[in-house]
Amino acid sequence: MISDRTKLENPYEDHLATIIDYRDLTSDTRYYKLKFVEPEVQEHTGDYKPGQFAMFSIPGVGEAPFSISSTPTRPAFLEFGIRKVGSFTDALFKKKEGDTVYIRGPYGNGFDMKSMEGKDIVIVSGGLGAVPLRSVLLYLEDKRELYNNVFFLNGARTPEDMLFKEDFLAMHAREIIETHLTVDKDPTGEWKHNVGVVTTLFEKINGRVDKDNAYALICGPPVMYKFVIKELLKMEFSKKNILMTLERRMKCGQGHCGHCAIHGVYTCLDGPVFNYWDYERMVELI
Amino acid sequence: MRYVKLKKEKIREFLLALQDYGELYAPIKVSEKYFDFRRITNEQVDEVVLDYNRTLRPPRRFFFPEKEVLFTFNSKKVEMYENKEAFTSEPVVLFGVHACDIVGLRIMDSRFIDDQPDPYYRARREKGIIIGISCLPDEYCFCNVRRAEFVDSGFDLFLSEVEDGYVIRVGSVKGHKIIDATEHLYVKVTKKDSDDLTAFDVKKSKMFTVSGNWDSLRYTLELNDEHPVIWMRESEKCLGCGNCTITCPTCRCYDVKDYPNLDGETGVRVRIWDSCQFREHGLVAGGHNFRPTKESRFKNRYMCKNAYCKEVTTAYCVGCGRCTYFCPAGINYKQNLIEIRGGI
Repeated sequence: MISDRTKLENPYEDHLATIIDYRDLTSDTRYYKLKFVEPEVQEHTGDYKPGQFAMFSIPGVGEAPFSISSTPTRPAFLEFGIRKVGSFTDALFKKKEGDTVYIRGPYGNGFDMKSMEGKDIVIVSGGLGAVPLRSVLLYLEDKRELYNNVFFLNGARTPEDMLFKEDFLAMHAREIIETHLTVDKDPTGEWKHNVGVVTTLFEKINGRVDKDNAYALICGPPVMYKFVIKELLKMEFSKKNILMTLERRMKCGQGHCGHCAIHGVYTCLDGPVFNYWDYERMVELI
Repeated sequence: MRYVKLKKEKIREFLLALQDYGELYAPIKVSEKYFDFRRITNEQVDEVVLDYNRTLRPPRRFFFPEKEVLFTFNSKKVEMYENKEAFTSEPVVLFGVHACDIVGLRIMDSRFIDDQPDPYYRARREKGIIIGISCLPDEYCFCNVRRAEFVDSGFDLFLSEVEDGYVIRVGSVKGHKIIDATEHLYVKVTKKDSDDLTAFDVKKSKMFTVSGNWDSLRYTLELNDEHPVIWMRESEKCLGCGNCTITCPTCRCYDVKDYPNLDGETGVRVRIWDSCQFREHGLVAGGHNFRPTKESRFKNRYMCKNAYCKEVTTAYCVGCGRCTYFCPAGINYKQNLIEIRGGI
């Protein structure tokens, strides 16, 4: 997004971006597509890693961090999936196509996609966890030849609650990534995929992952991690290759404001991607 | 290092001369019990207290103010403007800083300058002048076990008390310039002064109520994460007021808020000191709180101050005693640490 060349002297200063597209993903979550206004910033839109996040700012309302949902391999725009849960998102949801917001970033360590090249990758998401992992999925689709087996397991409460459902159904059909979708319950009766919690999808990949050369990328509600990690450990995944991306309150994004500090590490600098070793070491992590 | 001696009767003149270098702040008595750094003009020079115990507010506030406008904005035009005040303001000359507080500022630097510089803090800090002063501990102090009772750097000048004045150590180029310009105030340091300094140190070290090195508290606290008594018993007393973090010389948490003006268009983006002792500190949108209980917040402060520092060799705690001295609930931080350690 902002490379060293265009980095401002004041790291809290934002760049103006225009909403070029938006649509509702679920009743409370919306997709936003943005483009920077200044050409010299827009030119660097793709300078980020999957798993990184950006700070949004609306003058008069405040700032809030959001995971980037697009992939740097498609660098013309940024995409986000944002749930309306507080005062900032209330104001954001009033914005329409052509309106502007401020953005600064990218922040966080993100996923080291290079180190995963040639390996098996299992991506597990639940609910809103699909937002940061969509970035990884699109990235992998674009660079599929660099990776070995790639599996995507995604869960939601009901078909209505599944974020990026159309995207993921299309992904399922494209078969570039082996996609398995599940819902906890299907009140409509029209759901053609799995029904059950996300861990029930593990039987579909059992025995098909090279445990010594595999990464797992997880994001979801806190309760999900415990059960997913249990499955992964059962499959003998290496602890350092179980990666999860976390959420914290954040005000600065650069290790100053202290809100995201967990056990002496800053989620905004050393995270939001942590591995299972970190989890075992840090009491408050999840 | 360069050393000069300032005789007691010249202190007044010295303070007056310091005003040439910026806005002078020094400790004065602000109430029956408390001292604080206040702006010193010609009239207040005689109020400066040289042997105060501790100031109410820590020196970090001169570089990282309690409340600071980062940007002003126009929400109608969707424009933001950087607040230039930190970059154009007069330098702060801070007189009478204790060694622990100088270490505290160094800890602040480690987070706000070293890796990811905060432009506002850095601008103020780089032009600021720090003049330290030697002190004797009271029962709240434990800077010795924090290795913060003596400083070798982090100041421009440092005044160490001898019988009839102060031996000044010069710690920076800025310090040299001040001494050069006020050379007529000083006399040569004698052997007697050097002996006095040693005697002062000996006296000081005997006054501490704890001894040794508390760096190992990192491990002791981590091992006692589930201490059966202390966390529950002590956090029960806590009022959650945040005094301990506001008076702490190394606490750096801040919140950022937008305040619109009444015209509905313009406003300011402000950063304000926050405290991990407040319930909202770990609260995220949607209502999940990562530190939902008073106990978890209470423990977090103890862990942060003792176990989370990686940037400098000491802990984030410098042993100034403020969090105990100013606690309205009478929670004794130092005593609690001794209890967790199982001895002094």
